[in-house]
Amino acid sequence: MSEKSGISSKYRKVAYYPGCALEGTGHAYNRSTKAVGKALGLDLVELKNWNCCGAMEVKNIDPKLQTFLSARNLEIAEEMGFATVMAPCNGCYHNLKKAEYDLAHDPATRETVEMLSAKAGDVAYQPGHVSTIHALDWIREAIGEEGLRARVRNSLKGLKIANYYGCMYTRPRHIFPEKDQGPGSESTNAPHFMDDLLAAAGAENVEYPLKTACCGGAHTLSDSDTSTRLVLNLLTTAEACGADVIATECPTCHSGLELHQARAAKVFGTVTHVKILYFTQLLGMALGLSARRVGVHENLSDARDLLRARGLG
Amino acid sequence: MPIHEKSLIRPESLLRQEKLVLDGVDVSGDWSTFIESRVVTDYNEQMEEEIAALPGGEFIHRCWQCGSCTNSCTVNAINPEFNPRYWIYLIRLGMEQELLRDKDIIWQCVSCNKCTYACPRDVMPEGVMKATAHWLELKGHTTPSPAMVFDEVFSGQVFATGKIEEGRLMRGFFARTGQKLTEDWFVRLIRGLVMRLPLGLLARLGWAAVRHPRTRGWRRRRQAMAEYVAEQQVVHRAALRLPPATEQRR
Repeated sequence: MSEKSGISSKYRKVAYYPGCALEGTGHAYNRSTKAVGKALGLDLVELKNWNCCGAMEVKNIDPKLQTFLSARNLEIAEEMGFATVMAPCNGCYHNLKKAEYDLAHDPATRETVEMLSAKAGDVAYQPGHVSTIHALDWIREAIGEEGLRARVRNSLKGLKIANYYGCMYTRPRHIFPEKDQGPGSESTNAPHFMDDLLAAAGAENVEYPLKTACCGGAHTLSDSDTSTRLVLNLLTTAEACGADVIATECPTCHSGLELHQARAAKVFGTVTHVKILYFTQLLGMALGLSARRVGVHENLSDARDLLRARGLG
Repeated sequence: MPIHEKSLIRPESLLRQEKLVLDGVDVSGDWSTFIESRVVTDYNEQMEEEIAALPGGEFIHRCWQCGSCTNSCTVNAINPEFNPRYWIYLIRLGMEQELLRDKDIIWQCVSCNKCTYACPRDVMPEGVMKATAHWLELKGHTTPSPAMVFDEVFSGQVFATGKIEEGRLMRGFFARTGQKLTEDWFVRLIRGLVMRLPLGLLARLGWAAVRHPRTRGWRRRRQAMAEYVAEQQVVHRAALRLPPATEQRR
């Protein structure tokens, strides 16, 4: 917080890695992340000619290939002159972090990535040069809770929110060395960055015990019944906690929750009414952006009536 | 009782004669109940080594059976038969036939990494589940699971173009698993969304589906990864004492 604007110079301008999902089903997340950045006076510079991080699926075929794919994106960030890359998707964020960790700690992985990079004609990324942050870290570090509170134009007051972080943001612990470092750092056991930001925007966070439970996103299509049961658990618990909205921070969790909410109603006959919104959509509306500007109409879970009733959007 | 002996009291091991007279004594029904004795002769002493040779299985030898993995497991909570601790135990003992009883559910691990988070010995049980599912498939004990098919379709697209286009991914997956994309709740959901979306965005999404997003200059990376995958396949089959693959799967 060095400058007068209250914006940390380190995070005013960062490299942006949207990832594949944000160009498809997660488009609303992409749109609202960029809109929030703009409203806060932050610059996002998209990585040039990026590729898929490898996701869970390439890791299942071979973890070293996933590291190669993720490392190429880190190398692009470095070549563009950035020390920080921001990835809003939990999967991408997790994979870039994992690539950084594996390259720094596992000689066999480094050897394979260097061999693949040489064959591919790429410069092999060297660990320690680029740090990966999540959209939550980005807003929290760049603006801070106080800075955000000062910029709120349309408080989320009265909106009860269950904050849902999912699996990939905190597990496994060893790939997130900056977490669990005492006061001010993120907790892998009870994450709170999203809670903090939304509370600063005026929302009332409910006590939600399933913040880091699994939505079954990995098998959302290949084992739908398991995914529906896991999602239903998240939805009914959020409702039991009194939440109007589940705030998400991952396109896979988000679309999984939306799809399986509809599937649960049809297949298991359990109807739930809680709405699902990206945390960036909620922050954007608190900053005075319209519901349309943050892509609320692009969500499968139609929250427009609820938001209108609360004077948002 | 050692954990694997629970199989001895499975219902099929309990023998009971409805009508039985022994030495002139009527022992019909409950009086004749006994547990069938069982001798294990099918230890596969290479099983732990083989699974450790596949990606994810490397650290299985560290396990000291504390049970933190099963205790924290997402899938175990909805299906008690899904028991990573037990499977690790069986693999390390080489009890292949016992493991095969659960062969059709091991792939259902959702990779939430709660086990890996909880494990005090850094066994990385999530990786062990993936390695075990691979092992079952390579050994011919199971056909490729839906999750494996999804991994292959997904990775195939990443290897080919550098990016994922979700519409094509779903069509590819449903085509290979023979499912229909037209379940009515799904159609209604998409129709509801399309009604809300502005024309400009719809046109953009349609264009993306036709154009296929791709990373430029991907050819050399594709070749490098294809060579690596082929090399690893040879290494894995050799580690499992399998003959070289005659043909590549799609």
